[in-house]
Amino acid sequence: MSIRKLWISTFAILRRKPRSSPLFSAYFNRNLESSRFFSCSSYHAEKSGIFESCRYRFTMNLMLYEKNFCSDSVDRRLSKCWNCGAVADSTLFLACDSCRSVQPVDSSVDYFQIFGLEKNYEIHGENIEGKYKDWQKKLHPDLVHSKSEKEKEYAAEQSARVIDAYRTLSKPLSRAMYLLELEGIHVEEGKTVSDLELLGEIMEIREAVEEATNSQALNQIQSQIQGKFECWFESFGKALQNRKFEDAVTSIQRMTYYERANEEIVKKL
Amino acid sequence: MLRVGCKKFLGLGHQKNQSQAQILVRLYHERVVDHYNNPRNVGSFDKTDPNVGTGLVGAPACGDVMKLQIKVDEESGKIVDACFKTFGCGSAIASSSVATEWVKGKQMEEVLSIKNTQIAKHLSLPPVKLHCSMLAEDAIKAAIKDYEAKRAKLGENADAVPAEKAVNA
Repeated sequence: MSIRKLWISTFAILRRKPRSSPLFSAYFNRNLESSRFFSCSSYHAEKSGIFESCRYRFTMNLMLYEKNFCSDSVDRRLSKCWNCGAVADSTLFLACDSCRSVQPVDSSVDYFQIFGLEKNYEIHGENIEGKYKDWQKKLHPDLVHSKSEKEKEYAAEQSARVIDAYRTLSKPLSRAMYLLELEGIHVEEGKTVSDLELLGEIMEIREAVEEATNSQALNQIQSQIQGKFECWFESFGKALQNRKFEDAVTSIQRMTYYERANEEIVKKL
Repeated sequence: MLRVGCKKFLGLGHQKNQSQAQILVRLYHERVVDHYNNPRNVGSFDKTDPNVGTGLVGAPACGDVMKLQIKVDEESGKIVDACFKTFGCGSAIASSSVATEWVKGKQMEEVLSIKNTQIAKHLSLPPVKLHCSMLAEDAIKAAIKDYEAKRAKLGENADAVPAEKAVNA
């Protein structure tokens, strides 16, 4: 009875993983035969010691099986084009180079990878606008209006993701928040802050903006805010490098306030 | 068959009206608009006044700042006047305006029981704006706390002064 159960479970495992290269299945068949040999011997032996060793062998085989499967999945990372079957030359696979068809969205690829940038809070001098336009030349939905529904869907999702990535990375504050998100930290929505020094400062700034009469005064306030923003942006970068996430969150909160004040000034100008 | 057809037709019509009604509900509630256009109690009291408590709170995610001040009658512990200054969205302004209206004429202990859910219900705030009412509740509590802290400090100074007098004498 136990042998039957063993057989059923191993066949169930076989059935569950239909995708397997011929070499892989041959290896597995060899495993099965060897485990079958051991299970048969356990049935005949009726000794707990031998059964234990058989079980150990069986789990060993299973582990080997898993290991084999793992290496299979590592190779799968370099995905294949759904249209022409060409293998991608890197993990960044938004559109196939051979047949030009758009690929489905892979959410493990983050925004920095899409633009070929390092995960850094500064992106001085990097031409992301150029890269953004290059991507849209390959992924825009207008280019696939005569192709299949599946490809239209892929194009819509991919180009939306690239647009999101461009918007997030081009502004320093959103870039900073995205960097924290990649570390698994979300700047919380509902928490109220009672840092009197910060709030007092912001109140003063906002009141000054309200009372400002001419654009010169507004520009002056704006440059002051810009200076403070940059100063806190630097401290954010340092906090992130030193993995001091609480300080990073504080910096982001301050920068959000300065950004809001800046928006108000822009509205007024 | 005709009846079924008619019902379907009417049903469709009913759905259309429903979707129209749904669109209308998503606008600001009239109370919020009222508080935004005719805000009550905007202003400032003197911070250094011993009878004034100042609550200053902020919501960092949206960059809102809210200042709520109360003027308390020393003997009765009743809040005689309140004013606010808020920089933020319409819901935040309306929440703080409502808060200043509700605290006037009440005892300090009574006012601590004002909940953000009551403010949100009064203004029919959508879920995304519930944090504005939370901010208003926190502002009230912060104002009371500030007033009590001031009173305690004054109490300490009052104790210190007779001690000095005794020393001088």
